[in-house]
Formats: sequence, structure tokens, C-alpha cells
Amino acid sequence: MADLDLQPFWRGVERGELLAQRCLACGRRVFYPRAVCPACGAPRLAWEATSGSGQVHAYTIVHRAPPGFEDDTPYAVGLVVVDDDVRLVARLVDCDPQAVRVGMRVRLAPRALAEGTIAPCFAPTEVA
Amino acid sequence: MIARRHMHEYGTTPEQLAEVAVASRRWAALNERALRREPLTIEGVLASPMIVDPLHRHDCCLVTDGAGAIVVCSEPRASGCAHPPVWVLAHATAHEHHAIASMPNLTTSTAAARSGREALAMAGIHIEEIDVVELYDSFTITVLMTLEALGLCAPGEGGAFVEGGRIAPGGDLALNTNGGGLSYCHPGMYGIYLLTEAVRQLRGEAGPAQVPNARLGLAHGTGGVLSTAATVVLGAADG
Repeated sequence: MADLDLQPFWRGVERGELLAQRCLACGRRVFYPRAVCPACGAPRLAWEATSGSGQVHAYTIVHRAPPGFEDDTPYAVGLVVVDDDVRLVARLVDCDPQAVRVGMRVRLAPRALAEGTIAPCFAPTEVA
Repeated sequence: MIARRHMHEYGTTPEQLAEVAVASRRWAALNERALRREPLTIEGVLASPMIVDPLHRHDCCLVTDGAGAIVVCSEPRASGCAHPPVWVLAHATAHEHHAIASMPNLTTSTAAARSGREALAMAGIHIEEIDVVELYDSFTITVLMTLEALGLCAPGEGGAFVEGGRIAPGGDLALNTNGGGLSYCHPGMYGIYLLTEAVRQLRGEAGPAQVPNARLGLAHGTGGVLSTAATVVLGAADG
């Protein structure tokens, strides 16, 4: 089985793009990134850009953080849905955590988090 | 996030989530082995430190040491044992998503619904016939989700269902009668306690927490990120 090369994804985040995959066999959008299509099993997946915009489907505000993130509390983490078919859990930034709402429009806002990786975070499209 | 989405879709309140923790504490008060037995009120839950909003500290299970064991044997072998056996009437397992972002519907545990449905079908009984229910309570929202998935109440109605002490001692549903992971103990793998408590109840060995005439018990474990489920239906020896 082919190994999954995540470099395109992380390079995309660094330049402000959220990449997903599309299966070249069945046409399905795939996310999180996979080595094979979870729908049809085909090993041929192509990277493509998403709009990077979506909405908060659910969220929590972390007060008791895992190791390495204690200094960031309280911070908001959301389940963000991009383009209706890309779902990911991401830090929500550039807003008061208490102002986060279900349905809030957000856009990709890559940010270096505690461990140093440039992470796909999201910020409100309009300041609440 | 599941609790937040449940609130968003169904109007579930922090007070309703707290009801679960309060009921568990009242059962724990009847269990001399339980770690947390002091009284707890809804206000006390809401005043406890926020861990991951909307879940307060008392919405989250304990962190303890502990261990348990069960002996499973054939029917002929059981007849010579020191204690009356408890029969395994049915069992089922199911799993759903891998990551929480892949959960098809945050407020519906498809895995729990499936394992519960299949176990009850194997036992040939309806959920209403169960006398005592032991289900995994990592967080208070886990209990609401599982009550709904098992059909003890309608989807979205878990919050209203537990109001008014309904799952506390003396309520309509004997639930987590040892105090659960919220107040009894929680050594990481809590599932064994679901079975041991169901067995105690069906043997009539539950002391002050004994549910009168408990003949049928259901134990339901949840794992992963609300993604794996196992249901066991147990029956008392002469029932």
C-alpha cells in the first residue's frame, strides 16, 4: 500500500490554503487525507484546494488544557465544516472564546500553536 | 462539542446535564466502596470549575485506580459454584467513526443504537422490561446520548428524561446504581464495573442500593470517541 505523503497538505496550510483530496476513481471528496479512498478503495487521490471557508458545527472552550497548551487557556476549539463536505477539528482564533457560536462563519487562519507546527486554525469571517 | 451540539439542537441545559451527576452521587452515597459520597447538588455541579465548556468538573468522570474481574463458565459448571449464576442472555458490539470529525451526526450514537438493538433482539425482550441499567458515564452527556440510543427516551429528550431525579434512587429508572464513573470510581477502563454492578443487583447483593426484584439487567459500554459500543443483557438465576 502506498504511504500517504502529507507534505502537500502542510505546505498548503503554510501558504493559507486548506487542501483536501478527490478520488480519481469515484470522484468523492476525501478528508482527512488518506492513502486510499475510504469509499471505493482506489489508491489514486489528487490534492485540490478547498475554499477555506466554512462554519462552526460545534465547539468547546478549553479551560483545562493538555500538556503544552496550558498557557493558551481559555481557548476555543471547533468542529468546522468547510465547503459542506470537509470536517475538521481546529483551534478558533482571533475572537473571544465566549463569542463563538454554532453556525458562526469562519475562514482558514493558519497559526503556529504551542508545539510549533503551523496549524490549520480558523477565524471568524466577521468580528462578532 | 457533542454536549454543545446537543444543546444547540435540542435545548439541553447545563442543569439537565448536572442532574446526571447528582443522581450518580446519590447512588454512590449508598455504595460504601464509592470514592465520592458527599452530597452534590445541581448548583454544586454548575459551580465546579469549567473543564471544557460546557462540561464542569462534576460533569466529568473521576480518575482513580481500581480493578475488577468476572468469571464466565458453562451452565453445567455454574451449578456447582458458591453463588447463584447470572445468565448472559445476549451481547452485541458495534463501532462507528474513527475521529470525532467523522461522526456522521454528533448527537446520535449510531453504534450504541445498533449494539443495544441487536442485544435486546438476541435476548428477545424490550428495553422497558429491563430492571436495572448500567451504562458508561465518561461525561454526563455520554449518559444522555446512550439513554437516547438505547431507546429509553426519544432522540433529543435525554435532558428532559433525567429531570426531577428520575435516574436517582427512588426514581423511575434504576441507572448506574453503584454511582458510576462519575462518583464510584474510574480507572480508565470502566466497563468491568458495569458488569459487576449488574451482577450484584441481579444476585440481590447490592446492599442499600439494591433495586427490589431486579431480574433483568443491561450493561452498556462506550469506547473510542463515542464511537464503539458493547451491550450485554443479563438475567437473574431463577428469573
